Amino acid sequence: MNKRFLMKAILGLSLALGLPLAAHAEDTLAKVKSAGVLKVGTETAFAPFDFIDETGAHAGLNVDLFDEIGKELGVKIQWVALPWDGVLPGLEAGQFDMVAGPATITKARVERYRFTVPIAEATVALLKRAGDDTIQKPEDIAGKLVGAGKATAQLKQLQDYGKTLPKPVETREYVGYNEAYADLAAGRIVAVANSLPNIAFVAQKQPDTFAVVKPAFGQPSYFGYIGTKKPEDQSLIDAVDAAILKLKKNGSMAKLQEKWFGTTFDTPDTVPTPKV
Amino acid sequence: MSWRLFDLMLWAAGYTVLLSGISIAIGLTLGLLVCAAKLSTSRLLSAPATVFISFFRGVPLLVQLLLIYNLLPQIGIMVPSVVAAILGLSLCTAAYQAENLRGGFNSVPKGLLEAADMVGLSPWQQLTRIRAPIAFRLTLPALVNEAILILKASSLISVVGVIELTRMAQNLAASTYKPLLFYSVAGGLYLVICWTLAGGGALAERLTRTHRA
Repeated sequence: MNKRFLMKAILGLSLALGLPLAAHAEDTLAKVKSAGVLKVGTETAFAPFDFIDETGAHAGLNVDLFDEIGKELGVKIQWVALPWDGVLPGLEAGQFDMVAGPATITKARVERYRFTVPIAEATVALLKRAGDDTIQKPEDIAGKLVGAGKATAQLKQLQDYGKTLPKPVETREYVGYNEAYADLAAGRIVAVANSLPNIAFVAQKQPDTFAVVKPAFGQPSYFGYIGTKKPEDQSLIDAVDAAILKLKKNGSMAKLQEKWFGTTFDTPDTVPTPKV
Repeated sequence: MSWRLFDLMLWAAGYTVLLSGISIAIGLTLGLLVCAAKLSTSRLLSAPATVFISFFRGVPLLVQLLLIYNLLPQIGIMVPSVVAAILGLSLCTAAYQAENLRGGFNSVPKGLLEAADMVGLSPWQQLTRIRAPIAFRLTLPALVNEAILILKASSLISVVGVIELTRMAQNLAASTYKPLLFYSVAGGLYLVICWTLAGGGALAERLTRTHRA
């Protein structure tokens, strides 16, 4: 009796997994425009792109930039905040139209997702405790414990780089980067690997606690926003690309980069072929 | 740092209470139905109840939430974050509450039901006057226990995009670099809510103990 029910349950589940093929496709840009709302999934723990500021408000480059993109498309932005490892599955499930993040444009991700044109540089560097003289250059982390975010491109780069050193780097994975910074401050790890804009922001906010190790060790890479490769979603990402390029041309992008990173980046106008 | 941050914490605590409360209420109703089905002599009713209980008790709540949020849209059922959160918490707690209730119903002394048969009470009268009140009284501590567990387990629902008390504390701890402060506040708020729940449970126990002679 029980066995038969188990079989039925398994059959039901496999049917449920097979059914997405039957889902109907409606053009996403048209859908977004008629609803007047663009749903964007993100993680609010990726300063200065996306975070909760000292007053408890959702802030960062993402918020400002998507406000501008929303104006270009004539729609309002609705944010859905999740832990990072839930963001991409949510996008694939159709819980939101696209993802802010942003995410490093990598070979593996380009296979599966459609990126917008880059919005910032993403080359990975190290953050250390201020005054820690044992780490002067990236190679000094050989044989030491370094933290990075779980399921991130930065972690992958750290691991690849670690293998090239005389003594392998031990990595510790964190749910969010804020936990990694906290562990660095507490002395549980010697450094955190993350993209330069992120750690520069952290070091600038807390110069007594953190410092950036120069130069960056990672391959040159860029940040972009993410959409799916579903045919019905392409029009939306095309429109977002056009909006971003327009903001780059009229100087708004440079102003936003200056505001959030304290510097501007020269980013390509097309999605570059990823080196990582 | 402004007082607005503590308002946000209170608001998030309220949201946690609201979502857990709704889930516990739905879960209790559903749990009652599942318990009735499980106690039924008909295999047609008791077998699905067994499957329900073993699935929702056997799969971690975190996995259930992710399945609801990410799998249902694949078959064309859109579930907004809040709905996914309530659904996950309700279904999970329903399985536990059904088992709690079943324990209560099974603990009603057989002698009482035999006596009820002797004086000619109908099955419905036996249920409403003897079995249900006794089972409810016996199950009450376990139900309060389950309510407290769900309230605390609600910290998992941030994974489907709901900012509740724990996630708010994480966000504010990250932006102010004062983790100790915000996690302490969150812990204190959870404690106050659970005390209130436990107090309500104790009160209900006292009231049901003295009722009728």
